[in-house]
Amino acid sequence: MSLAAAIRTGEVAELPSRRDEDWRWTDLRGLLRAVPPASPPGDAAALAVGPFAVLAEDEVVFLNGRRLMGLDALTIEAGAPRVLALRFVSQAEGTAHHSDFALTLAPGAVLTLLESHESAGEAYVADSALDIRLGEGARLERIVLIDEAADAIAVDSAEVSLAPNAVFAQAVLTRGARRQRSQTRVRHPGGGARVRLDGLYLPAGARLADLTTEVLHQGVDGTTSQLTKGAVRGQARGVFQGRIVVEERADRTDARMGHHALILSERAEVDAKPELLIHADDVACAHGNTVGALDEEALFYAEQRGIPEAEARAMLTEAFLVEVVDRIEHAGARDVARAWVAEHLREEA
Amino acid sequence: MAAVKQTIEHVEALEAYKHGFSTDIDQEFAPKGLSADTIRFISAKKDEPEWMLAWRLEAFERWQSLEQPTWAKVAFPPIDYQDAYYYAAPKAKDGPASLDEVDPELLATYEKLGIPLREQEVLAGVQGAPRYAVDAVFDSVSVVTTFKKELAAVGVIFCSMSEAIREHPELVKKYLGSVVPTSDNYFACLNSAVFSDGSFVYIPPGVRCPMELSTYFRINAAESGQFERTLIIADAGAYVSYLEGCTAPMRDENQLHAAVVELVALDDAEIKYSTVQNWYPGDKEGRGGIYNFVTKRADCRGARSKVSWTQVETGSAITWKYPSCVLRGDGSSGEFYSIAITNNRQQADTGTKMIHLGRDTRSRIVSKGISAGHSSNTYRGLVSAHPKAAGARNFTQCDSLLIGKSCAAHTVPYIEARNASAKFEHEATTTRLSEDQLFYAMQRGLSQEEAVALLVNGFVREVLQELPMEFAVEAQKLVAISLEGSVG
Repeated sequence: MSLAAAIRTGEVAELPSRRDEDWRWTDLRGLLRAVPPASPPGDAAALAVGPFAVLAEDEVVFLNGRRLMGLDALTIEAGAPRVLALRFVSQAEGTAHHSDFALTLAPGAVLTLLESHESAGEAYVADSALDIRLGEGARLERIVLIDEAADAIAVDSAEVSLAPNAVFAQAVLTRGARRQRSQTRVRHPGGGARVRLDGLYLPAGARLADLTTEVLHQGVDGTTSQLTKGAVRGQARGVFQGRIVVEERADRTDARMGHHALILSERAEVDAKPELLIHADDVACAHGNTVGALDEEALFYAEQRGIPEAEARAMLTEAFLVEVVDRIEHAGARDVARAWVAEHLREEA
Repeated sequence: MAAVKQTIEHVEALEAYKHGFSTDIDQEFAPKGLSADTIRFISAKKDEPEWMLAWRLEAFERWQSLEQPTWAKVAFPPIDYQDAYYYAAPKAKDGPASLDEVDPELLATYEKLGIPLREQEVLAGVQGAPRYAVDAVFDSVSVVTTFKKELAAVGVIFCSMSEAIREHPELVKKYLGSVVPTSDNYFACLNSAVFSDGSFVYIPPGVRCPMELSTYFRINAAESGQFERTLIIADAGAYVSYLEGCTAPMRDENQLHAAVVELVALDDAEIKYSTVQNWYPGDKEGRGGIYNFVTKRADCRGARSKVSWTQVETGSAITWKYPSCVLRGDGSSGEFYSIAITNNRQQADTGTKMIHLGRDTRSRIVSKGISAGHSSNTYRGLVSAHPKAAGARNFTQCDSLLIGKSCAAHTVPYIEARNASAKFEHEATTTRLSEDQLFYAMQRGLSQEEAVALLVNGFVREVLQELPMEFAVEAQKLVAISLEGSVG
């Protein structure tokens, strides 16, 4: 059951619904009566510049599910650190498309992956699937900016598998869409491999942003650190589902998960499910979850200093969210992310 | 430290499951299987009015259209609902009028279980010792309820459900099914159709119940299920503390226990509900044991009402229950304190739901899960705030402790905040017993088992403190027994 399968077969019954436990807060079946027709090729000449254009050495672009340049599968060899931009652009109206991409990092390879989901259309249905493999000691930092149309339905899924001593770090930043989910599933072999899975959502209007992750600890000595923060405005909804599984014998696993959200308007909603499923005893696993409003005293203080209320709210919210951005290692990407957060926080809700 | 010392002494004198005996007593059964006729049989046995039978039959019809849910993290073979007795009762001579008429075998059973059924025995204790009234439910019927006269003097109604249906139909009609509707879930629906006995409590406005009330549930008959129904109503400004205990004989078969407990708290009322659940957990290989599939819910209907659930879950092959609070009244509050211990092949999927509907509602959840052996222990909980629940507050703490390599501990919290002024905090940890601490305790001359009991008691202390005195001591012993043989 997945959006990809529904697009491929045209069967509405393939769409996940709220009866599926993992989709209870992000219902797709109730939203679509029929799977929209396939998207047309799109106009490559009308393509805008991507958000990470100045930072990347190479670029792989998918337009309406079709690859414009680069390869469907890419292997990064060991050597000097590389920076790759991966763009999924939807230039469609009322149609559906799906993209597939596979990325392999050879042992010892180092890559910064700057991924963007961009929109030049409306009411489309977009799905993308990424298959990422990291060899022994490889290092990948993946930064994802999701900027879909307000009335789009978009799901991106990444399957990540690591070899021992590999390092995988990720930050997903999203404004949501009519329904938007970013899901990441990591197979963690332990053996000194490290995973950082961060997320940030700031949906406004009637958008829904869903960050779903699953980490399977399958071997001894694995580390996972996870921090997701969100702010919801208008009638928007933020969804966080984080699952950490420690399989039998995956001893000495150290996994930490944090999710903290601000509800900034009366009609906004946050739904969270931070799960720990532990089958080994020698572990240290913890999660923390908080949901609340902005601190009224801090707001009052800022207003006392002559800062208009709207700006004061944006400032305080930004200060709350920026912890996630600060964890991004690539300096250029960090600046882009910070500017992106600041810009979208000051938009009309 | 006295309690700790007692635990240690108890560990030395461990018996695996001391309530595992069965009583050989003349019993009568409903015909095996489940049909509308079974329900008519039960209703007739209890001499119920027509409206009660109609209610049961409607529930049965609904139940037939439902499917057994599968979402919990518990695994068990399909249950054959036709292969069980839905009614089993000790043969009585027109209902005993006094204790002297109760079958001596039954009295001996309760004596063996340590439940005081004779009021003077309770009084004979130490001067000033707390007294508590008992409703003893044996398979499908209540055999005796103590202190009824004294309670009636202050207006408190404490009797078996069957009696309440006959004597207080207006209260039963008003409240039964108002917290857990017939079709709430599969097992609640089954219970509504075939429920036998349970306790009924009504505390009138402004009354503080003068003693602890308790019900002791005992499954004795083989191939039977127990489907008790409990209803507690605390009228405006009333207070009651209620305890529940349960045991069953050791058998190779699995027996179903599907109870429904409904609590109603009106304005400024407070209900404290404590459970020490010690159903037979099955043997080391997971043979036998009770399936404990229970629906417990409190409706904090009145403003500033309060309900507190405390549970110590050590028994049952499978525990699947979520004592919940619907915080409807403005300023109402709910609490949930839980210790769930699983050992050998036991499975538990338990937690709570705190549903904030009213303004300024508060809830607090403290859950301590301990898994050992090959067991699986899941905390599953929901905290939600409705758009109208301005100022809702929740604090949740879930800690899990793993003892051994083959057990599992899961934490699955659901948080749904639909209110900007709601403040929800949740924290959870999963660890094993600290080797340093074990080493330290053993250095001081404790055996490994004593050291484990000491550390575990420290781990669950926060919850034990919430239990009424006489239960706390009992629960502490249970904790030690349940973990017997889990280390080394």
